[in-house]
Amino acid sequence: MGKVIVVTSGKGGVGKTTSTANLGTALALLDKTVAVVDADVGLRNLDIVMGLESRIVYTSMDVIEKQCELSKALVRDRRVDGLMLLAASQKNNKDDIQPEQMKAICDKLRTTHDFVLIDSPAGIERGFSNASAGADEAIVVTTPDVSAIRDADRIIGLLQNARIEPINLVINRFSPQLVGNGSMMDQADVLDILNIDLIGVVPEDSAVITSTNRGIPLVYEDGSPGAQAYMRIARRLTGQRIPIHSFEQKGLLNNIVNWFTRKR
Amino acid sequence: MANSTVALRAYRDGLHLIIRPHLSITEVEAAIQQEISRMNRSLAGASVQIDLKSPTLKEAEIEFLSSKLKETYDLTVRGVEVADEPVAPPIAAAPTTHVISQTTDTVNPRDSEPSRIVPYTIRSGQTEEFPQGSLIIYGDVNSGGEVRAGGDIVVLGTLRGSAYAGANGRLSAVIIAMDFAPLQLQIGTHMNRSSVNQEPRGYPEIARIGADDIIIVEKFVKF
Repeated sequence: MGKVIVVTSGKGGVGKTTSTANLGTALALLDKTVAVVDADVGLRNLDIVMGLESRIVYTSMDVIEKQCELSKALVRDRRVDGLMLLAASQKNNKDDIQPEQMKAICDKLRTTHDFVLIDSPAGIERGFSNASAGADEAIVVTTPDVSAIRDADRIIGLLQNARIEPINLVINRFSPQLVGNGSMMDQADVLDILNIDLIGVVPEDSAVITSTNRGIPLVYEDGSPGAQAYMRIARRLTGQRIPIHSFEQKGLLNNIVNWFTRKR
Repeated sequence: MANSTVALRAYRDGLHLIIRPHLSITEVEAAIQQEISRMNRSLAGASVQIDLKSPTLKEAEIEFLSSKLKETYDLTVRGVEVADEPVAPPIAAAPTTHVISQTTDTVNPRDSEPSRIVPYTIRSGQTEEFPQGSLIIYGDVNSGGEVRAGGDIVVLGTLRGSAYAGANGRLSAVIIAMDFAPLQLQIGTHMNRSSVNQEPRGYPEIARIGADDIIIVEKFVKF
């Protein structure tokens, strides 16, 4: 039986879809069977980020309306073994799906896949309850800024009410330079507020933008700091124990500069 | 540790029994007993002057204490002196009528209030309400979270959200947090007007209604 993990954040634009695409691909590269599910009905994006948009024929809506079998609606990623995408319908909206129907799809997918990753829409309404309905675990993605953190805090409260645990945190778009000169919250500040387990820190990386536009998840081209961060998170998801990477700037000069410019 | 409510001191003109601000006569009695038992020689037959550091004891109570001192320890009270200068921050320093231990009645309004313990963090969008009495939070109140209590609010973590104390009209209600950086504070009908610190200062702080009926926030030393 596989695990169903919802990737969510509350706030939009913090990297839920990018994280889902990269973690799904990374897990498949680690020889796991993975299904990624776009739960953002009406505003689907996961297919584009994964570069599979031209191959979508059926969506989760068709499965729910019994227009086709679940296995037929799954699109196989040809670049890696064991990675499937279930796209969301672009014509419908979130109220057309019931949480129980999403849960049924998740329960079916977990019998055939090691990991089922659900890409949640932003917000706390129906879209979120649909996305989290079938989930055992959650990954909350946040950027280190106050508005994203407040929304993440809200989402964590809702996930806890729904008895979904563990809830793991991904800090995305982390900039060591900005932390170094005191204008961005550091890891410890974020964890102090949210008080959940950190599963990884993804540094700000311009390669993310190009990979999104090309439809090739970052982790296919190992080497960029972002790709390495997602690979480490995927390894942690498979149960490997890898210490959290420190992105602090090194060097004596930096230490001196940081000491003088840090926020007290 | 030295006794905080009562101290026995030997000055040039003899023994002084110093009584500081306190909550009740029983507390004073217990403190005297403790203070005298600390002495390693008998005080029988000695005379003592009572120095009241706040005018909280009624005359009848002073008389009661005098006879008690005579009976139990054979101490004669030779005089009573009331110091009216404010001492011992923060409570006694407050020039206000609303403050708890300065009121002349010895009834503690908190005795009649229930309190509720919340053993988790209040996150954004969550509200914890307890109109009947006081709330004690074993966690944080995060930005966007809200706590409302009829009485006091004690946050054994960081207060970053909104706290409304004294909703049942008790203006002596206070808000205490180990780290204090709230979005909004309200005690009774009083909102905070002055800007409250955005960053925790690294020590516990207390908010209460001070002089001029505005909410003041200061370092929490002891109640």
